[in-house]
Amino acid sequence: MHKGRGRGLLTLLSTLAALALFVAGCGGSDSSSSSSSSSGGSSAASSQPGKGKPAVTIGTKDFTEEFVLGELYAQALQAKGYTVNLKRNIGATEITDKALTSKQIDAYPEYTGITTAVVAKDDTLSPTKEETAKKAKDFYEKRGQVVVGPTPFQDVDAIATTKAFAAKHNLKSVADLKKLPSFSLGARPEFKSRFTGLVGMEKEYGIKNADFRQLALGLQYKALDKGDVDAANVFSTDAQLASGKYTVLQDPKGVFGFQQVYFVINKDKYDALGGAQFSAVIDSVNKLLTNDAMQSMNAAVDLDKKDPKAVAGQFLQANGLTGSSS
Amino acid sequence: MSDLINFYKDNASLLFEKTLAHLGIAGLGMAIALVLALPLGVYLGHKHAGAFLAINISNVFRALPSLALIAISLALFGLSLLNVEVALVALAVPPILTNAYTAVDGVDPDAVEAARGMGMTERQVLTGVELPLAWPLIFAGIRTAAVYVVATAPLAAIAGGGGLGDIILNQPTYGLVGVIGATLIVVVLAFAVDALFALVQRAVTPRGLAVPRELTTIVPAGTDTAVTAETAATVEQV
Amino acid sequence: MSALAVAPLAPLAQSGPVIPNFGRGDDCIRNNGNFCTQWFIDNFRERFLPRVGEHIKMTVIAVVLGFIIAFVAALIAHRRRGFEAPFANLASLFYTIPSIALFQIMVPITGIGWTTIIIALVSYTLLILFRNILTGLREVPSEVKEAAEGMGLTRRQTLVRVELPLAVPAIIAGLRVATVTTISLATIAAFITPLGLGAPIFSAIQTGANTEFVGASLLAIALALLADVLIVLTQRIVSPWTRARRRSA
Repeated sequence: MHKGRGRGLLTLLSTLAALALFVAGCGGSDSSSSSSSSSGGSSAASSQPGKGKPAVTIGTKDFTEEFVLGELYAQALQAKGYTVNLKRNIGATEITDKALTSKQIDAYPEYTGITTAVVAKDDTLSPTKEETAKKAKDFYEKRGQVVVGPTPFQDVDAIATTKAFAAKHNLKSVADLKKLPSFSLGARPEFKSRFTGLVGMEKEYGIKNADFRQLALGLQYKALDKGDVDAANVFSTDAQLASGKYTVLQDPKGVFGFQQVYFVINKDKYDALGGAQFSAVIDSVNKLLTNDAMQSMNAAVDLDKKDPKAVAGQFLQANGLTGSSS
Repeated sequence: MSDLINFYKDNASLLFEKTLAHLGIAGLGMAIALVLALPLGVYLGHKHAGAFLAINISNVFRALPSLALIAISLALFGLSLLNVEVALVALAVPPILTNAYTAVDGVDPDAVEAARGMGMTERQVLTGVELPLAWPLIFAGIRTAAVYVVATAPLAAIAGGGGLGDIILNQPTYGLVGVIGATLIVVVLAFAVDALFALVQRAVTPRGLAVPRELTTIVPAGTDTAVTAETAATVEQV
Repeated sequence: MSALAVAPLAPLAQSGPVIPNFGRGDDCIRNNGNFCTQWFIDNFRERFLPRVGEHIKMTVIAVVLGFIIAFVAALIAHRRRGFEAPFANLASLFYTIPSIALFQIMVPITGIGWTTIIIALVSYTLLILFRNILTGLREVPSEVKEAAEGMGLTRRQTLVRVELPLAVPAIIAGLRVATVTTISLATIAAFITPLGLGAPIFSAIQTGANTEFVGASLLAIALALLADVLIVLTQRIVSPWTRARRRSA
């Protein structure tokens, strides 16, 4: 009878061990990506500058547009033979930039105005987008990164209210919010402490009457619709804004800045990947990214709930950057 | 280290407010769980019936991932305190229910018989004999649940906000030092809550019954009996 | 100034990129329904199945590693009285640390990825497994141990042939709780890196896609319940005699 019990225990232990080995075996190591060998198809005379180069880890921040950008870059690179690990949804700028400098990731797409205001912590307002881009570029190069871009499109932070609320209180610009006794402002957590956020609103427009409500990104439209908040922090290329249900308040002082996108990559990785050849691929993507293009891709993901991977794939294919749909 | 001290100094009032909110969120979850699980467990234990029910409710609730519950509640109720409370209640019910049932069910049958023989009514048997003898184990379950709830309440910040989670989930604003600082407060709160319950447990345990060895160690004494009870319970229903 | 682009989808300009038609979602999904079955089915293989695989992998590795560590620790504690308290205290400390904080705190040390996740998840399994294995060993009636000794078994033989087999029910009960708890905590891991079923939950909350996070949540719940049932069945197969055993407190 003791033998039976011993056998039971042995069975248990060996099952566990086998299970662990099986599971560890199937499914590769760092499976956070659709890595390497994209079918690509054989584009005639396809230069595959990526072949033989080390893998590159691209991170993306925590919202739809970044997800799409990440996929665009990753798939375009894969089509050229590069090995890409895509880490989606790392977190807000502060977290993602830290991941970049600590080499957890090699590159990610960043907005020029965010670079200056949040990463470089520069509070001064630039009058043109070119100047913002230059400041961002200089900052990164001093720090050991290389930038490729910027993209034609911009995506700025903005404050939106429902149409009804704006009409009721006659709100046209952010400055008008000062007139209200108080108002609730729903925004993602980091908005509170940023110059391109509540801090700048206070400093430049004198807005001290905001009741800040922390919301996970993505919940702001829900909150506006339900009336949980009076105003919310939105992005100017959000698909939802095209619906006409919301009023976006003007930002005459440019607190929310200019926001083109740079592909930022650590210099040593950039060199290892072939420098100019690598940036040529990124450029080929960047120049396609107009406001319209970005908005339609955002809409496909946010409104029609398409997979960012599929949307990016279709876009690249339609524009000849990949041989077949990924 | 000095960063941490600076963090506490700079944000003292914010932290105080968040801590109170945190205790409120946790307390509400515990209160609801107690109302739901304690009477049920005691009643079933008294009747020596429904073991299957008690154990399986506990098992099902224990299997529900907190984040999943919060997400589903978010879809159903929108942003609200309800989201995190659903998750906290699901977390707290199993230890309370299992322990209450096992404790009352397992009271020495001779003592119960004697009480009945003396002419006590059912209610008197329950309150005069079964509950006092069962309290230590019941309390162990409540203690365990309280620690789980305090440690899980930060998830509130995902969908409705409130409490120390607002800092723990906002590393961009408060930095890693903020996350660590707020986490330490949660840890201290959990210890404090456990110690508090341990004191109450001691006060409520009738003299002559064995008192748990350590008063202030966080989970061992509580988990010891809770785990044994949970173990016994899960073993029994097989 | 700031370029607010709220233009509706414009037909392509001559020199602009080609913007393909991405396809319109059905009514359910355009209204952001809580659970649009068709969408879920269509997207299951690409977006959910890989996450399920990652989730299972995370859980199994963490539970097995935790089991090994807890097992060794329990054996030591069974022999040396003084070992139990320090180990249990350390292991129980983790229960007071919110998992979402632990993951973040470990990132600077062990990076964004599997290492951090596994170490954190293993930490949470230790207490329950340790407690249960030890309790299981201790609950072996002393008469049985004496009988074994009387039969001439060495201490080690007693352990392997008598105590451990008798401890199996308690061990499996502990495995059960540990596994289910790990599945739950593994959803939180996605806060720092996009692995497991937590990934679509967090990212869909960001993008506001109800069906995505509801679907992922339901999958997580199903996975946990399935694991629970499987372990209970295993327990029955491995120790069928416990059905007959009746425990009196």
